Amino acid sequence: MNFWLGIRHLDRRIIFLLMALGVAVPLLLKIGLPVRVTRDVSSVYDYIENLKEADVVLISYDHDTGTLPEMVPMSTAILRHLFLKNLKLVGMALRAEGNAIGRQAFKRVGDEFGKADGTDYVFLGYRPELTATILGLGTSIERVFPKDDRGVPVAEIPLMQNIHNYGDIALVISVSDDDTPVYWINYGNARYQVKVAPAVTAVMATTFFPFLNSSQIVGMIAGLKGAAEYERLIKRQGMASRGMDAQSIAHLVVIGFILAGNLAYFATRKRGM
Amino acid sequence: MLIGIIITGLLVALFIMRGRRGKSLYLRPIAGLLAVDEAIGRATEMGKPILYSSGRGGMQRPATIASMNILGSVVEKVATYGTPLIFPNNDPVVTAVAQEVAREGYTKAGHPDAYKPENIYFVTDSQFGYAAAVDGIMMRERPATNLFFGTFEAESLILAETGNSIGAIQIAGTDSSIQMAFFMVACDYVLIGEELFAASGYLSRDPQVIGSQKGSDISKIIIMVIIILGVILGILNQAWFVNLFVTV
Amino acid sequence: MRRSFPIIVCFVFGMAMLIQFFVPSKLSRVAYDEITNWAQIIYAFALIVGVFGLLKYHSEKVVRKSGGWFFNLVTIASLIIMAVLGFAYGRGDSSPFMWIFNYMQAPMQASVFSLLAFFVASAAFRGFTARNAEAVLLLLSAVFIMFGIASVGNAIPPFSDIANWILMKPSMTARRGIFIGIGLGTIATSLRVILGVERTYLGKG
Repeated sequence: MNFWLGIRHLDRRIIFLLMALGVAVPLLLKIGLPVRVTRDVSSVYDYIENLKEADVVLISYDHDTGTLPEMVPMSTAILRHLFLKNLKLVGMALRAEGNAIGRQAFKRVGDEFGKADGTDYVFLGYRPELTATILGLGTSIERVFPKDDRGVPVAEIPLMQNIHNYGDIALVISVSDDDTPVYWINYGNARYQVKVAPAVTAVMATTFFPFLNSSQIVGMIAGLKGAAEYERLIKRQGMASRGMDAQSIAHLVVIGFILAGNLAYFATRKRGM
Repeated sequence: MLIGIIITGLLVALFIMRGRRGKSLYLRPIAGLLAVDEAIGRATEMGKPILYSSGRGGMQRPATIASMNILGSVVEKVATYGTPLIFPNNDPVVTAVAQEVAREGYTKAGHPDAYKPENIYFVTDSQFGYAAAVDGIMMRERPATNLFFGTFEAESLILAETGNSIGAIQIAGTDSSIQMAFFMVACDYVLIGEELFAASGYLSRDPQVIGSQKGSDISKIIIMVIIILGVILGILNQAWFVNLFVTV
Repeated sequence: MRRSFPIIVCFVFGMAMLIQFFVPSKLSRVAYDEITNWAQIIYAFALIVGVFGLLKYHSEKVVRKSGGWFFNLVTIASLIIMAVLGFAYGRGDSSPFMWIFNYMQAPMQASVFSLLAFFVASAAFRGFTARNAEAVLLLLSAVFIMFGIASVGNAIPPFSDIANWILMKPSMTARRGIFIGIGLGTIATSLRVILGVERTYLGKG
């Protein structure tokens, strides 16, 4: 009986230690668990696959550095797909930290594919006040971003010559760790009919199911699992696929804690402890 | 959309006017708000401070406005009991507003000298920097009561679990349905959905604020009737009703 | 006047933005563009207010040598160093500013976010006990969803299908209901602000 009482009042540090082992061991062992592609992720993939070569995609980095481990694999997989398709990319950020993250991602993946800043992609920079920015892009991108992140006037950038507002953009991808994509949907899609695809953390995924159900978004990539599915679709294994082993085992560890907690609860309750 | 906004707006305005004319309007008891008094009393008895957080929202967010209203009522109570209130902030504008609300609350309670502006301060607008700072405050100051009202994101469970580990009584309310789930698990009382917005009228008993709440309640009833009608007519294959809302 | 002027400004701009959304004329578009530009400028100034407030708060703690004042000094020093480095050497990929961002700030932020995994585990251990019928439903939902989303369960169709069903049907239904309530609460609060009934943003109750 002391055993179950001990389990019921288990020191938090033991829980934390078991969790740490549950995450670290799979990363070291590289198990390689299978990843099944879901419809939400394949919808985004299919939409991009059907875009034509000179089509423009706007990617907005709306997240902070805290969620880098979850967002970088996602945005890398998406950028790889977009560059593979030879699409034109316009990057921006609605968070100050997202600016540096996005700019580096564009450069890193762009260099992988030999893409040039100014002709194949451009990173416009950061703007605060997201409602005003999202709405302003519907009228004129140049008004909201007169210069790109390097300080080059947008009017002088070759890529931006024929890109003026949402009418010239085939898809907006919001890489976000909060509800910023809701603003893209409410203002960008509802008002200007631009297509939106959120790429969000797993915890935010349920926020966008209603929008998925009503076809207000083309699809959704959620969490490390979504990133792993996307890597599978573009046939380029990356950080997400490796991380899924750890995430899966961590889920099983949490389920184990839930079951142990309940067993201890019933065992001690029976004896009135 | 326009028709919906007009109907909702008219209902809210109508009930605000009813409230102004002194008509008595009923609001059901909200467990989380009833517990605020108990939580403040607990902190006073234990001689420990109260920690207040309005989360990450800016002043333009309705949830933050609701939080400031609750803060005003909380401050009047803590001023009476002399309980310290610590309020670290994530937004500089909210900090300025919170300081004004607190100053006014202490003055209304008759204790203007008890107001300490250094207890309400801006920490950082970085999400996890804020979470780390508030956790540090909780571990050092050991508040007896934590009040989380506002817009919270991923840091919600970090704050709530740390508060739980120090044995604080915790009451939370947020407009994020995801974070609400985390608060449900880790807090003692949670305001669900629009109970947070009702809180300002509930605590202040301002008839105009209660009136606006009644207006939105009537709008909810209208939406429920429309949904039920839509379901019944949908089953009966009468698509015209649903199409009405698609075109509108 | 000090009290009425902000309320009048709030009413005028609130109504203007509401009306212009439904009136697609050139004038409303021009006005709307101008207002959104000004909103961005004002927000930038609010950040400056925050920086000064931060410096003031931490400086006072250092001067008074309050408990833990060394960490207040670290905060001030970090702020000044980042600002100086940014202005002096720019924000290029190989600049000292970006080095500190990539190798200090980003790992620190990510580490704090990662604590969530441990807190979820301890919250799940404590919180998901089958005390009553609702708790049993919560417990079963959590177990099915976590198992269904994990690679192991996701490869077994019944579990992934149950997880998807819970997410797309009862969970989404409940969330839609909460969204509607929050949406109406937001409309009511916004109308109160526009009509001047709600004056908390002025700092007055």
